Amino acid sequence: MTTITCSQIDDLLFDGSPLAMQTAARHAETCASCAETLAAWNDLSATARSMRTSWENEMLWPRIERSLRAEPKRTPRLWQLAAAILITIGLGTTMFYAVRTQTRDAAFDETILRISALDEVERAEKAHVAAIDALENVAEARLEDPQTSLMIAYKEKLMLLDDAIDECQANIDRNRQNAHLRRQLLAMYTEKQQTLQDVLREETNVSTP
Amino acid sequence: MLQAVMTTSMPPAAAAPNADDRLVASRCAAGDSLIFEEIYRRYGDRMKSIAWNHLGSVADAEDAVQETFLKIHRAASTYTGEASFGTWLFRILVNTCYDVLRKRKRRVEEAPMDDTFERSGANVDDAKRIALKQLLDELPEQRRSVFTLFEIEGLSHAEIGEILGITEGNSKWILFATKKDLKEKWRNVAGS
Repeated sequence: MTTITCSQIDDLLFDGSPLAMQTAARHAETCASCAETLAAWNDLSATARSMRTSWENEMLWPRIERSLRAEPKRTPRLWQLAAAILITIGLGTTMFYAVRTQTRDAAFDETILRISALDEVERAEKAHVAAIDALENVAEARLEDPQTSLMIAYKEKLMLLDDAIDECQANIDRNRQNAHLRRQLLAMYTEKQQTLQDVLREETNVSTP
Repeated sequence: MLQAVMTTSMPPAAAAPNADDRLVASRCAAGDSLIFEEIYRRYGDRMKSIAWNHLGSVADAEDAVQETFLKIHRAASTYTGEASFGTWLFRILVNTCYDVLRKRKRRVEEAPMDDTFERSGANVDDAKRIALKQLLDELPEQRRSVFTLFEIEGLSHAEIGEILGITEGNSKWILFATKKDLKEKWRNVAGS
């Protein structure tokens, strides 16, 4: 048999199971204070159980039934269905346009980015061309009157490059976004720059006694 | 006409929800009067008892039961089956009782003690019942409901938890704390 102390009586009352209440009752047999607590506890429960109540009222169900019959039907009315359909269509259309606008915006953004990248490339090209022109101006005097066969070859080469550059530029003007042509143009300019540098270097060598 | 009767065995709030509960709810939503009559036959006595023990008046208790049926009809389509139909029904009833009590408080009127019928425990002192009723009236709503549903109606803590939207453990704790408070006052009642 489990022996309990007064301090554990609350735990047993909280538990409330038949076993816990039996244990509490056994302890109460030897403890006046806990016996009083347990008696009040059980008396409360017994009084409460007696308060469960019922009565017959033959008029109650017919009254409830009448009130239920008077309730409006829960089935959706025609206008409610129409409103639901309209709202669905409205929402659908809004969604469609929202998605379409978003797609357009994305395409627009992409184009803007592409144009801005192209502008950047063209700006770089212009700067490159300007630098080469400056180099050409320096070398021009010697090229106008070449003194050696090498300088004549350089002059012809530069003329060929200029023709090729003009042709490539014309093609690029027709299709600004053709990256291949732009790479070709860059290669030609680089070649021209290299040639001009060779001309200047050659001129220096020639001038040097 | 009110006719006093002894309380017979009452159905439990029902165990776990099942397909039948959903069927009952869908028939309620459709306004099937036969299913409402079946619900009244099955739960009516307990509904009246719960309502009376919250409101203390037969007329108010019957109004609350009627109002509960109307609410079931209106809300049956929203029944999800999370709780059993019986539990759901009692939850609506208890909330309806709370509404009545709040309206009554606003009117600052005391409901008359309506005690004109026999009880299940004929051997229990009427004075004790009246005293306990008065003590319960002083309790906050939730504590009063837990005590009423467990001690008077014999529902389990699990069922009470679902009805009142609290945990089973909380229901057990609230009952213990309530009985402990009542016990002190009860000694005076029993002594007198």
